[in-house]
Amino acid sequence: MEVKITTDGKETIAAFIGRLDTLASQEIAPQMNELAEAAGGTIILDCSELAYISSSGLRIFLSLRKAAAEKGGKVIVRNITNDIRNVFMMTGFLNLFEIQ
Amino acid sequence: MAVKILSVDDETDLELLLTQYFRRKIRNGEYEFFFAHNGLEALQVLLKHPDIAIILSDINMPEMDGLTLLTKINEMRIPSLKCIMVSAYGDMDNIRHAMNKGAFDFATKPIDLDDLQLTIDKAVEQIEYIKSAQKEHAQLVDIQADLSVAREIQQAILPRVFDLKIKDPGAVDSFASMLAAKDVGGDFYDIFAIDDHRIGFTIADVSGKGVPAAIFMAVSRTLIKATGLQGVPSNECMATVNDILCGESVGSMFVTVFYGIYDLNTGVVSFTNAGHNPPYILWADGTVEQLKCSCNLVLGAVEGIPFTSESLQLNSGDALVMYTDGVTEAENKNHDQFGESRLEAELAALKGADSKQIVNTINAKVKEFINGAPQSDDITQLVIRIK
Repeated sequence: MEVKITTDGKETIAAFIGRLDTLASQEIAPQMNELAEAAGGTIILDCSELAYISSSGLRIFLSLRKAAAEKGGKVIVRNITNDIRNVFMMTGFLNLFEIQ
Repeated sequence: MAVKILSVDDETDLELLLTQYFRRKIRNGEYEFFFAHNGLEALQVLLKHPDIAIILSDINMPEMDGLTLLTKINEMRIPSLKCIMVSAYGDMDNIRHAMNKGAFDFATKPIDLDDLQLTIDKAVEQIEYIKSAQKEHAQLVDIQADLSVAREIQQAILPRVFDLKIKDPGAVDSFASMLAAKDVGGDFYDIFAIDDHRIGFTIADVSGKGVPAAIFMAVSRTLIKATGLQGVPSNECMATVNDILCGESVGSMFVTVFYGIYDLNTGVVSFTNAGHNPPYILWADGTVEQLKCSCNLVLGAVEGIPFTSESLQLNSGDALVMYTDGVTEAENKNHDQFGESRLEAELAALKGADSKQIVNTINAKVKEFINGAPQSDDITQLVIRIK
């Protein structure tokens, strides 16, 4: 699992590459805390190369959304594959995020 | 606390030398010396003072020599007790022999006390390391013991006897199992009589694993049962539990829940699916169908949201098979998943089977499929079959 975080001042983009399972969720926790600091603005979660997401991974997305709700920012989920879309649909996460 | 050092030598001049050289450390309470004059005496002193950490032993002594003493000490198996052997200069044979028998180090006569000081420091450092490792090990053993108790408690709160106090207890046949991947799990199921003709049942999966998931599981399960027993519609039950869980969720934990209410009088199941895998229906004629559910949000994520409820008509011989993703995402060594299509095929082969047969067969098929690969997620099923 790798997360590439880039920012252009207005938007912070986090690209998830690989499988976001329980172990990977723990590994990327420090990076996610860093990302949450940008939750006052717009955070884009790029999932074009996200192969799998477990419930621990969904928790990370939910935490970012909560941080954004507190700070008045927003979280956009971009380029989800069909597999991830199915997980989002089943868990109701599809309505929780702006999906692009 | 002073480091206790036992010096074993038949010549007493070493005693004087040691007490003289280390007098400051003795006075400051850093070292405490004991003396013995042969191996036998040394063993007696050791018995009286089991907290002796370092033995400084001559090799050639009457009654019991240093090498025999070393053998006896090894037999006691105390990893935090270190032996430093003292021998005549050039007595390489005995020194090699002692080192091969597990001596920590050696010194040659006449003893260079500055060098001996360094050797003692080195031994103390290792002894402390071993002691702290032993302490950590003991703590881990404690935690492990706590976990096995937690496992028993968790399994005990999941119902194992399925006799429901309803007007016709024979009308519904139900069975369930939860196989935790770790000592404790985040999955659960429950089934209870709401009144004489309604049964509430649920299957759920908490995000994450281990102890945090187990605690969240216990809270969720209790809330669902307590709310469900009030006889409220399934969607209201989910909304109430969701609002309470949102106030208590730490680190964005959430739980996917399927909650249903079966009415014996009408044969109708009214249900709400909060982000859980849709159950399967194994119809009496052997066809298998995935239950169509609206996709409500998981519980514990967002406060104050509404939930929808739906209904399903069941008749004699129909079974509702509820499961967690530990079943379908069970992986073998090649990382192939058991998958929904395999589950559907196995269910189709179970036409006419009772709920216990269904649960046990699917568990056996999953076990056969993963073929010894480590179980990565809790595997849970709950089956309700109308007689």
